[in-house]
Amino acid sequence: MLEALMDSAYIKSLPFLYEGLKLTLLITIVGLFLGFILGAFTGLGRLSKNGFIRGISTIFVEVVRGTPILVQVLFIYFGISEDLIGVNISGLTAAIIAITINAGAYIAEIVRGAVHSIDKGQYEAGRAVGLTERQTMRYIIWPQAFKRMIPPLGNQFIISLKDTSLFSVIAVGELVYQGRQYYNATFEVFETLVMVCIIYLMITIPTSVILRRVERKLDV
Amino acid sequence: MITVKDLHKSFGDLEVLKGINAEVKESEVVCVIGPSGSGKSTFLRCINLLEDITSGEVTIDQDVINDPKTNINQVRSQVGMVFQHFNLFPHKTVLENITIGPVKVKGMKEEAAKEIALQLLEKVGLSDKADAYPESLSGGQKQRAAIARSLAMEPKVMLFDEPTSALDPELVGDVLEVMKDLAREGMTMVVVTHEMGFAREVGDRVMFMDEGVVMEEGDPQQIFEDPQNPRTQEFLSKIL
Repeated sequence: MLEALMDSAYIKSLPFLYEGLKLTLLITIVGLFLGFILGAFTGLGRLSKNGFIRGISTIFVEVVRGTPILVQVLFIYFGISEDLIGVNISGLTAAIIAITINAGAYIAEIVRGAVHSIDKGQYEAGRAVGLTERQTMRYIIWPQAFKRMIPPLGNQFIISLKDTSLFSVIAVGELVYQGRQYYNATFEVFETLVMVCIIYLMITIPTSVILRRVERKLDV
Repeated sequence: MITVKDLHKSFGDLEVLKGINAEVKESEVVCVIGPSGSGKSTFLRCINLLEDITSGEVTIDQDVINDPKTNINQVRSQVGMVFQHFNLFPHKTVLENITIGPVKVKGMKEEAAKEIALQLLEKVGLSDKADAYPESLSGGQKQRAAIARSLAMEPKVMLFDEPTSALDPELVGDVLEVMKDLAREGMTMVVVTHEMGFAREVGDRVMFMDEGVVMEEGDPQQIFEDPQNPRTQEFLSKIL
């Protein structure tokens, strides 16, 4: 029984899928990190008093949220890198750029909503004490807003993690791509896809559990 | 100390202040009373530019504060403001609420600011709450902590925007007591309030505002006992 299991595709696909998992995590984590920076600037940009900054931030968010991420990555990989600037960027780079831009747009809305939700009196109290606008943002508004961003950011992590599966179309060797390679060679489709799902769930379920705990602790 | 000349303030088409003239001398306590919507809070908020001034001039100690050349952060650090809803920083302890101004605005050393903060907390009766977070305080304690936060900047003037309106009745007394102490020490104060007892007892002067103008002003005794303007008479007859 055990021997049969060890010999089955469930187990034998694992080393292969593990290689894909590494890339999936790399794209997700780097993409989200850069996406957070992009999103923080864009989100604050949407709250800017400067109409130009507000305008480009809004256009960015609307365009990215209004188009499928699959189209975005095709655009980055084939459209821009090959057609427009004539330089080939690797699939991995295109994937990270796509997650950065896509998560950036959603995180911008998270940042905007969180900052916006802080009582106006907090800003006024900061200014009344004599803090500059920047100091008020940094010491008073941002720390409170960031706390409120944690649950939706965790949610975004799960969404972006799953979005990386689309990058198999540009031959990035992430989890789904590796799975497809494996079952194309062995024809063990069912077993392989079960393992792919289990691996995703092993990341997403603990993330959800941790998030719920954090949420309860922060009471947000 | 504070001079307000022909101050106008509009929100869009709505003119809230229609030409206010006022003067507050050093160590004077001026109480501003009036029905809600009369513009008294807006007037107070214009004095430290929490609202942009539409036209007119506000001068604090020679500085015209709505002159673009004036460093408004500098001015604000000399004008303390106490809000109706306290607006304490919930992510900071009471002590940190008080030290942030001196440390970040005046560049004071953390230790020195802490010392001042502890003295102020003793003054407002909150010595044991230094390390507490605002959410664990009662409304009255929050407001006293907020007063201590303003005082830490050693302001020349203190503005109070309905400081006791959000408090349970039994908590009002402690806050008023702290304000009376300040008045006795010679702090210049402008107080928007519904506490007529306080205005009468502590105020050097009372301004009655209605419909965006100062309808009547004078010493408290005259305003409360012998109001001249019919609007003042009507307002006082409703609340006293």
